[in-house]
Amino acid sequence: MTTPDEYSIETSNLTKTYTSKIRIKNNKAGLFGGGETRTVAALDNLNLKIRRGELFGLLGPNGAGKTTLVKILCTLLPPDGGTAVVNGFDVAKQQMKVKESIGTLFSVGERGFFWRLSGYSNLEFFAAINNVPRSGRQQRIMEVLELVGLKDKAFEVFQKYSGGMKRKLALARALLGDPPILLLDEPTTGLDVTSSRNIRDFIKNDLGKKRGKTVLYTTHYIEEVSQMCDRVGIMNHGKIIALDTPEALKGMAKKGEVADIVVKNMSEAQVNSLRGFAGIAGLAAEVQDSVLGQTRLRIRLENVDALPSVLDFFFREKIKLVNFRQEEPTLEDAFIELTGAGASE
Amino acid sequence: MKLMQELDKVYYFMKRDIISFSTYKTNILLSIVSALFGALSYAFWGANASMPSVQNLGMPVVTYLLIGLAFNTYLSQSLTLVQRTINPWSLEEVLVSPTGLVTFIVGSSLWGFIWSTLVIVIYLAVGVFAFGVILSINIIGTIIVVGLGIGTFIGFSMIGAGVLILTKQGDPVTTIITLATNLFGNVLFPISVMPLPLQIISFFVPQYYFFTCIRPMLIGQTIGTILPDLGILALMCAIILPVGYLAYSWCLKMARKNGTLSWF
Repeated sequence: MTTPDEYSIETSNLTKTYTSKIRIKNNKAGLFGGGETRTVAALDNLNLKIRRGELFGLLGPNGAGKTTLVKILCTLLPPDGGTAVVNGFDVAKQQMKVKESIGTLFSVGERGFFWRLSGYSNLEFFAAINNVPRSGRQQRIMEVLELVGLKDKAFEVFQKYSGGMKRKLALARALLGDPPILLLDEPTTGLDVTSSRNIRDFIKNDLGKKRGKTVLYTTHYIEEVSQMCDRVGIMNHGKIIALDTPEALKGMAKKGEVADIVVKNMSEAQVNSLRGFAGIAGLAAEVQDSVLGQTRLRIRLENVDALPSVLDFFFREKIKLVNFRQEEPTLEDAFIELTGAGASE
Repeated sequence: MKLMQELDKVYYFMKRDIISFSTYKTNILLSIVSALFGALSYAFWGANASMPSVQNLGMPVVTYLLIGLAFNTYLSQSLTLVQRTINPWSLEEVLVSPTGLVTFIVGSSLWGFIWSTLVIVIYLAVGVFAFGVILSINIIGTIIVVGLGIGTFIGFSMIGAGVLILTKQGDPVTTIITLATNLFGNVLFPISVMPLPLQIISFFVPQYYFFTCIRPMLIGQTIGTILPDLGILALMCAIILPVGYLAYSWCLKMARKNGTLSWF
């Protein structure tokens, strides 16, 4: 099977099932046996096409199947059914060719390093096993270290690196062989805001725009894919349930209006009264400033016609309006709408 | 109240460990079996220390024991070389690289072998300089016997590593080989001190042939004196090494298929 040049990654009816034995309290077999066998479809006839040079975001709640997909694409897991083709090579039949085409970063990638070696020595090892020629190895290592901003720390022992530095080194490792395709599985998980942003900027601007790499970027952070990806696939229960540009996906959120309102001196009883109003699909209230007595209300209206009655309620109840803003649906709204679950951030 | 609170925490630490420990059933069983076999090995030595069969070894007792202990350490190291490469996280990183399994095994094991060889030199040096052990090494014979021993034990090691990839903790192959070496391998005592049924078991254990061959090579005898035993050792090596490779490949494939490679 070959992939048209247009696509770097193509899956067709890709399926993966896990079987696991679980323990249940008071199960008859107790500690040393028994339990119940459960089968979970991690990937359920997944069809996906990622274009060459595309920065593709894969969004999904925990357990959606994102990591399973990445592990199949990098040949670590064999699929149970269907096909996956990476850079024109079948992951089941042409594993070495696939491995030469990809750079991979796992969500716990820093655990794959050797902690008592320096960053440089770690990369030297991984460069060797990734077929980086000996003659240009040193230069390539320093290049990728410079790319991720770790050149000055190259000879420090890995265990002294901060979390952000470790993740950057994992990214540098993925880039060692200068592969055309990068599989990045939750590359910013657990990082602080600044480190996350640095890594995102690097992926978007340097790897994507400047070097034209194909990037599959999995995450459960909605804002990440919203800001940086060309297209986003939303995954749930092993399937792609929506796939489009971030803007188009936002448009898939249920039509309606969101009003973000800050009021003063509104009691809990008044909030509850408002909840019962016709035309209000949802209401979230949180204290914004207890000293000033300000409460922030996020009201989802079934349609804009419900808004006058809300404002009229404030007037009647002598509730002071501090701020009012109507909002467009966000990618988060689309995500929640499609997966039926809240996102992490 | 504070004490009770702290005891409660201690209880939950222990409960956590018991639950975790109980999931490694193979390991529990092997720990018990190891204790029984270990006691048995030294009981044989102690009970027969003054018997003629032990006194008449063809070499001084200290030489006999020194070679036994030194090479037993060497083989034990060899036996766990492949297992020690199974760091689940770096294993995944290696497996997604374009590196073949043979390169991975050889590359990961090489330093372990070199280090074990240095350790054996220390063992023998201590024997020679501190206890006056006289060695006259048949270099070619020693290399052949050690090569066959390593080949056999790498085969066992790969089987053990494969099982460990599947069971995650407690590799019965390594434990069984270690126990068999201590009891049936001619390491600490000649097998003639054991009851006949146990002696028969020794003849199916490659370690017996290894130790039967290596001792004469270190006291200057010719290869001709060990030929029948050397032939059997070579045959066992020729079978166990490829079987080990196939077993390791199969277990790795299964762990990948089940997605349990990093579940340690």
